[in-house]
Amino acid sequence: MGGVRLLEWLVPSVPAEAVDWDAVYREELARVFNYFRYRGFERATAEDLTSATFEKAWRARDRYRKDRAAVSTWLLAIARNVAVDHLRRRRREVPLDDAQARDDATPETLALGESQVRRLRGLVAALPDRERELLALKYGAGATNRAIATLTGLSESNVGTILHRTVGALRGRWDEGGRT
Amino acid sequence: MSDDFLSRLHEEPRPEFAGRLDERLRQIGARGHDRRLVPASLRRGAPAFAGALLVGALGFAFTLEPVRAAAREFLDLFRVKRFAAVPVDPQRLARLAQSGLDLKTLVGEQVQVVVAPQPPVEVASPEAAAVDAGITARLPAVVPPGFEMAETKLSRAAEFRVRIDTAKLGALAEAAGADEIEIPAFWNGATIDVDVPAVVAVRYARAGEAGGGRRDDGYLLLQAAVPQVELPSGFDLATLGRLGLRLAGMSAEEALSFSRAIDWRTTLLVPVPVQGGTFREVEVGGRKGLMVIAQPTKVTLAEAAGPRPRPRAILLWSTDDEVFALQGPATNAGANVLEMAESVR
Repeated sequence: MGGVRLLEWLVPSVPAEAVDWDAVYREELARVFNYFRYRGFERATAEDLTSATFEKAWRARDRYRKDRAAVSTWLLAIARNVAVDHLRRRRREVPLDDAQARDDATPETLALGESQVRRLRGLVAALPDRERELLALKYGAGATNRAIATLTGLSESNVGTILHRTVGALRGRWDEGGRT
Repeated sequence: MSDDFLSRLHEEPRPEFAGRLDERLRQIGARGHDRRLVPASLRRGAPAFAGALLVGALGFAFTLEPVRAAAREFLDLFRVKRFAAVPVDPQRLARLAQSGLDLKTLVGEQVQVVVAPQPPVEVASPEAAAVDAGITARLPAVVPPGFEMAETKLSRAAEFRVRIDTAKLGALAEAAGADEIEIPAFWNGATIDVDVPAVVAVRYARAGEAGGGRRDDGYLLLQAAVPQVELPSGFDLATLGRLGLRLAGMSAEEALSFSRAIDWRTTLLVPVPVQGGTFREVEVGGRKGLMVIAQPTKVTLAEAAGPRPRPRAILLWSTDDEVFALQGPATNAGANVLEMAESVR
């Protein structure tokens, strides 16, 4: 019922839950950022979307209710909406290209080898939307299957099944192409 | 099956990015919070402002409307300073009606029309309408490119008299499952005069489309004198408000918390059907206003077959003397409507 949400938004005297928001930022920044990266957004866009997510969350943080969801799940719910809004504006996700991949070079990718990272990103980017979304939540954001189920409306077992199948298929394609 | 390979895509955010964002968040924290309100929707084309002033939801009939003293003992003064959105679940009201509760009869029998509302009439100018409405016409200095003033209409004032019947209020409370609300016995028989002020409506349309154009394309500025409510001494608006909130679908705890948090004497509640859309608090000329972004529902067969209506922005705000509503297409989350409202002088 809307009244529940109404109360969260309309009652300024209801104190925000005691949350260490500095700690939330430190702990959740990389998770949110990697959620967007695993979704297939280039690094600069992922940074923009991460900023948008945290700014929205910070403006609304007195609405956060500890008893409803973990703060990480709450942030990911906002992140998913930010991604949807962005895609609606852009109509399509920006594919990685060579020039952008060079811009994306990081210590991690350099250590692993840019070509391998690019190839793996390409495999992930080729996944259907739903599978890529679940993968981004699981491996990008480090969300539990239960949290993913909460966020997506799928059952927890369904989340597990889809992820298992998706990772298996990816693993096969990854191995087929060799690792070097 | 190993999934380690997937962790290889993991990256740490760049320190300079993390630092910038941290700084930005600290600024937000220092400045206070914007307050985005409840998702909701308004019916397209409905005079939202008039709807807020008229009986939008039956449960709020006594609390939302400008009420003037009908008896000498009416002492307390209600003056609108801000707006707040309250979602109303139409399906819940429909279920209540199906269960045998005739809200219209329960409330309607207690309402006597003193001065009947009339359809809006076209007038020569906003200034002429304002004279009739007893206010000073205020118009926007900024109008979206390509738009011009198309027409001005005046809805004349109306008056209603409401007689409180505690037995029927009790029936309403019972139907809403709100047995926690006690209706004071001394309310029985009290009368309240409801005075709906005259409303000036100025419509802006694309040049050359004064009489037509898309319904969801134009802008509509409504203004009226600030509603004032004089209440009988000892009359507890919060109790009546809680009953309305319960009818709208809130739980007892929600209604109680909301009732305690809201200043019933300065806040005009805007009942809104629970559907898609967003609300947020904004500032208009340094005063707090309520911005509603609503995706209109399709209301006719012809419209249902056509393109999806564009979202509408509806902004409500007040000054010391007048209350305003500005409707228009929602561009950039209503930034166009807010800019236009900011220029109203």
